Amino acid sequence: MLRIAALFAAAALGAHAQSAPFAKPVASYDIQAALDAKSHTITGQETLTWLNDSPDTVPALRFHLYMNAFRSTQSTFFRESGGQLRGDQFKGDDWGYIKVRSMRLQGGADLTSAIRFIQPDDNNADDRTVIEVALPQPVKPGETIRLDIAFTTKLPMIFARTGFHGDHHLVGQWFPKIGVWETAGFRYSTAGAWNCHQFHANSEFFANYGDYRVNLTVPTNYVIGATGEQTRRTDDKGKGTSTYTFEQRSVTDFAWTAQPSYLREERLFQADRETTAAEVAAAAKLHGIPEADVRLSDVRMIALVQPEHREQTERHFRSLRAALKGFGLAYGRYPFKTITVVDPPYGAGGAGGMEYPTFITAGTTYHLPEDSLLLEMVTVHEFGHQFWMQLVASNEFEESWLDEGFNTYSTGAIMDRVFGPSTLPFMFYGRNLWSDLKLPRISQESADRAIHLITPRRDDLVRRAWEYYDGSSYSASSYSRTGVTLRTMEALLGKDTMDRVMRTYHQRWRFRHPTSRDFQKVVNEVSGRNMDWFFDQFVFGKRKLDYAVGTVICDRVNTARGFLGADDALKLVTKKTADGTDDKQDKDKNFKPEYASTVKLERRGDAVVPVDIVIRFTDGHVHRSTWDGVYRWHKLKFQRRAEVESVVIDPQHKYQLDASYANNSWRKDYNSRLSASWGSAFLFWFQNLLLTLTAIA
Amino acid sequence: MQTINVLTSAFHRAAARKRMIVFYWFFHTLCAALAALPVLGIAIPQLSHSDYGAELMKQFDIAAIAELISTAGEAGSPAGIAILLSALLALAGATFLAGGCVKLLVRDEVPYSPAEFWEGCGRYFWRFLRLALYFLVPYLLLLALHSGLIRAIAKHYEPGIVELPVIYANRTVRVLILLLAGLTATAADLAKVHLVVTDSRKSLRAFLGSLRLVITRPMTVFPVWLLLALLLSAATALYLAAMHRLGILLILFLAQQIYIFFRILLRMTSWAAAAEIDTLLRPLPPEPVPVPVPVASEPPAFEAGAQQDFTI
Ligand SMILES: [Zn+2]
Repeated sequence: MLRIAALFAAAALGAHAQSAPFAKPVASYDIQAALDAKSHTITGQETLTWLNDSPDTVPALRFHLYMNAFRSTQSTFFRESGGQLRGDQFKGDDWGYIKVRSMRLQGGADLTSAIRFIQPDDNNADDRTVIEVALPQPVKPGETIRLDIAFTTKLPMIFARTGFHGDHHLVGQWFPKIGVWETAGFRYSTAGAWNCHQFHANSEFFANYGDYRVNLTVPTNYVIGATGEQTRRTDDKGKGTSTYTFEQRSVTDFAWTAQPSYLREERLFQADRETTAAEVAAAAKLHGIPEADVRLSDVRMIALVQPEHREQTERHFRSLRAALKGFGLAYGRYPFKTITVVDPPYGAGGAGGMEYPTFITAGTTYHLPEDSLLLEMVTVHEFGHQFWMQLVASNEFEESWLDEGFNTYSTGAIMDRVFGPSTLPFMFYGRNLWSDLKLPRISQESADRAIHLITPRRDDLVRRAWEYYDGSSYSASSYSRTGVTLRTMEALLGKDTMDRVMRTYHQRWRFRHPTSRDFQKVVNEVSGRNMDWFFDQFVFGKRKLDYAVGTVICDRVNTARGFLGADDALKLVTKKTADGTDDKQDKDKNFKPEYASTVKLERRGDAVVPVDIVIRFTDGHVHRSTWDGVYRWHKLKFQRRAEVESVVIDPQHKYQLDASYANNSWRKDYNSRLSASWGSAFLFWFQNLLLTLTAIA
Repeated sequence: MQTINVLTSAFHRAAARKRMIVFYWFFHTLCAALAALPVLGIAIPQLSHSDYGAELMKQFDIAAIAELISTAGEAGSPAGIAILLSALLALAGATFLAGGCVKLLVRDEVPYSPAEFWEGCGRYFWRFLRLALYFLVPYLLLLALHSGLIRAIAKHYEPGIVELPVIYANRTVRVLILLLAGLTATAADLAKVHLVVTDSRKSLRAFLGSLRLVITRPMTVFPVWLLLALLLSAATALYLAAMHRLGILLILFLAQQIYIFFRILLRMTSWAAAAEIDTLLRPLPPEPVPVPVPVASEPPAFEAGAQQDFTI
């Protein structure tokens, strides 16, 4: 019986299978950790099980000790960030650190004395975020080793993602974590080597998959949340502590939070209620796969919300529902059983907007108005990292566009489709002035394009995160500009093809570690087109795309004058006869003159792309063509009994990367309504500003 | 009751000076145009012959602002300079015009004439300018107080994890600062009026006296300001509620200009109200009663005895 039941269960699982449901564990952790909530210190003990999943012999190990980024002003993180990140400043003296108390090979040598700090990225001798440990015997190909590591982590004040604020604790990047051994042919590697970057201002994630089992001991009055599923709880009444066990397979990291006053709410994402049969069928048809592969699974959604944000609890769940459905139908089902969203309290904003496996932080403000979708946007974005970072674990240090940028593109589509454009919260005594003034709402698409336009293009889209010109160049490239670039690609390939590209890329690389070039290969393969020109200019380059209508000239064609005809049959056409033919008087207005029209188009940027051209004439005739866009300008000539009415380059705004939509078209008519309306509006606002100013005169 | 009487009377006085209101409007509109034209000079030529302009008219896209800024290039800084210049011009011009306005609002028995008006502008300009500079001090102090209090609140609640008390504390501070700014503005009006009424050149004395007045008699002064502020808020709310229902551009334009006229009318009313309050709180000393014996300091023209006085 038991065996038959097990077979049925396996068959049921198999029917839902798409890509492998779980990853091959390379780096697994069994951690015991106790939080001293008063000193904000964690005492930990971990057992790391590491598989040498390569044909190489590995002589030494490397580990991230990321909490040391907060050790002093001398760390590379502090030097790069200047002690402030995303608008939050480090204040006071609550520094953080991590100390490895001991490291020992199970059944083998004590490695503690072999630990030495290294700085592979910048040779900053004061940076202590990476260690190397020489092994007495190298790890052989396919061999698994176990290490027992004792550590102490002191949390810093929260200003950059992790730490404590009051009795709120958000604990990320907190335990000794092994780097990634990259054998030749893995990603960009040409020879076996460790990929273990120091902790930088702008990047945090690259790790192997593994299975995590973590016991967290905290004071009993604390409410906690963490990566994975809570499988056990034991209380120690004497000490007033509780120990929670969290387990999760196939993840790349583990984070957790504890705060006594959290409101903990749970809802179930019921897959067959949240999606309709038609939606499943449409996705299956688009991707040419069985409906069973499209169907989503149920997920337990957990929200840890601040009491003063109680009324926004459902907004967290609404966002998670939209994200689970949107990402799941587009790229493949979310394979984990839980997702936890944390709402950091006032003063801990630096912990908000972060992604960890099955565990994300959002962020909101007191009474955030319903039409300001910042909470929704952040929640959907951070959830999106479950797909771009966790399930497809590209290297955020080296190619941040592959997670932040892909996520910006995916999140934008869901936000604009499900929630629509947003106001910004300009709060004044409980009222949102943005709504009251009826200022235009902002879609994700236009926000991304605005940031792309306003941020100078100083860098190629892809660079190592700490090697961009500055923080704003990093963030514009990694987020918005990638969003605009992928939307441009979508317009070129067509929405359906782009959807197939993205799903194929996701499925092929789920639980693996792709590079930009792997994505490029999928694009070319799925679209059946060679899109290398696009990647060269806009991903591995920083070309400026700007096509413009230069000049449009329509000259009336008059009858030729002078001696016409062959030499032996000369015919003189005088001015008078020519004028007669041209009917210059044209009293009855029936005469239709002929026009020689010249349309000059210009390429004003250094990007070369083919562009669609539409030219309309006053008689209703429409000319359509494509210009390869290679030379600096392109001239079109027409001779018709009608003038040019309008010229448009890229009429569908396929190229969102274009530096100016305004110069993409020209029309004969002057838009006097625009001048009048903007003129009066500007005048009115300046009148008001000046009257306010002169009220003090 | 007194407040209503003061305001009604002030409103009538102000409303009677129609040409003055039009002139004040014209000056501000001129300065606004000076600021607006260079900005429009960047936007309109780019968009008036472009389909994108028509698209933006249908649905405005925030990215268009980024596009205009990024393509404005060198035209951007002249536009910024023009805005700054227009602000300076407006400040200087408004100080100048205030002389004529206050003069004619203080004395409603004097009929409006351009000569009277310009005479007031010229006569009081330097006194009003000095006054405006003195009043910068309390305004700057209020700004400093505001940022100091907001910072102190942030610091006080920094260790906490709840935002609510911070929000309420900040709101309280803002109300307080707004009220103090209102009192300062009223003091500024009173000072101008007093300079005109007493035809004095002592701006500093008027500044200090008026500040003392608003501090010692807030219940006379303050309700007037509050009512004027409420009227402005109501007009603003009305305009905001109506602006998206006014489909025709010309009607929208008219509504905007009516709103501006109303703001100017309120400005004039506040000066006229200050004149009323000044009469109430600082009545001028009674006209000297004629006495039978000639006062020595009076020039005793055409009198033989006086002649003698000079020859002694
Ligand atoms: Zn992100």
